[in-house]
Amino acid sequence: MFGLYEMAFGGLTWGNILMLLIGGGLIYLGVAKKMEPFLLVPIGIGVILVNIPSAGLMVYAPAEPGVIPLPASGGLKEIAEGKIGLLNLLYHYGLGSEVIPLLIFLGIGALSDFSPAISRPLSFVFGATAQLGVFIVFLIAYLTGWFTINEAVCVGIIGGSDGPPTVYLTVAKAPQLLGPITLVAYSYMALVPVLQPPVIRLLTTKKERQIYMKPQTREVPSLERIIFPIAVIVVAGLFVPACLPLVGMLMFGNLLSVTGVTDRLGTSAGGVFVDVLTFLLGLTVGSLMPAMVFLNTKTLMIIGLAVVAFAFGTAGGIWAVQIANLFLKEKINPLIGAAGVSAVPMAARVAQIEGQKANPRNFLLMHAMGPNMAGAIATSVVAGIFMSMV
Amino acid sequence: MIDWGLVAKTAGGGFGSTLLVLVILSIVIWLIGFVMRRRVRKPKDES
Repeated sequence: MFGLYEMAFGGLTWGNILMLLIGGGLIYLGVAKKMEPFLLVPIGIGVILVNIPSAGLMVYAPAEPGVIPLPASGGLKEIAEGKIGLLNLLYHYGLGSEVIPLLIFLGIGALSDFSPAISRPLSFVFGATAQLGVFIVFLIAYLTGWFTINEAVCVGIIGGSDGPPTVYLTVAKAPQLLGPITLVAYSYMALVPVLQPPVIRLLTTKKERQIYMKPQTREVPSLERIIFPIAVIVVAGLFVPACLPLVGMLMFGNLLSVTGVTDRLGTSAGGVFVDVLTFLLGLTVGSLMPAMVFLNTKTLMIIGLAVVAFAFGTAGGIWAVQIANLFLKEKINPLIGAAGVSAVPMAARVAQIEGQKANPRNFLLMHAMGPNMAGAIATSVVAGIFMSMV
Repeated sequence: MIDWGLVAKTAGGGFGSTLLVLVILSIVIWLIGFVMRRRVRKPKDES
């Protein structure tokens, strides 16, 4: 300006302008349409902050687009010198270290009620089969040659519809795709009510959707609810130790809220604690989306493949219930299998709405919450398996 | 070049392992519930 200092206009590209619009669009979706507002609003503002050139909140290595400079001396000196920005620090100490996704999972565990899954243990099988989309999309992503094997597992895990495992795996295996993968994962979770019904109607008959299930599930005694997280940690940890950071945090959070003597800790973990971490996650993920990193064909492919992942995840859950019904005397409504794609509680709500459309007497929400919650554990197990295999 | 062995291991083995772990988990949870229900029922029967 008047030769005194540099304005941002000179460095502004068409890509930056497009990203500013995308950032604004995300904030609009969060505020006006109430789509995952806790995440889309911080992600949107992060996108805007990082696409105004020369602002210095998130500095990328000039020679290698997408590479984020490390704070070499704890960060404060580099921030003062303009070598890195505040968001570089948040990325490295929050996301790069995996601290934020794991602690968010602790908070989610504290907020979760696993009683519907405990009262119908078959829910865990439906939660597992609903991971089908993860593996189908992994295959497509890798075999088409569009993605490396590390990237392909991260694209696939979007189908698990669970944020923290997706972020956790992507930070470890393909951090260069963290921005688009996280954005697509959270956006599509909000779009579950749009994505799932066509698949459900395609794969089930009206007669199946009409299957009546008694509204109440078994009441789970408190001792059983205390033993549950410990049992999950031991079983999942022994079979897939690499999933324990995720499963362990989820179950620890849950234990805090069910013991009856650590209520304050559980309330804290599921309250301001998880809120702070959530907006830090959103802001940091948004800052990973400067135009030079985000606008490429891989992002478009991720957007397309995620739809396939959700469709096959929904199908996997439905098919498992249909197979189970061949052997069960008291039939299960296949809609509750569709809720095996985590997306808590949206997928369970979809089962409830579609179930009531087919049979107004049906009240499937609590039944659907079982596979829904089991899906969160299943996605964490899948993330652990990918961590140790690839 | 595609490493078919790794693909089969990751996709087939991965999905199979997930299913296996969750099936075991469902059995363990069912067993715990079964024991709990018996434990709760017993004192009632005795009275």
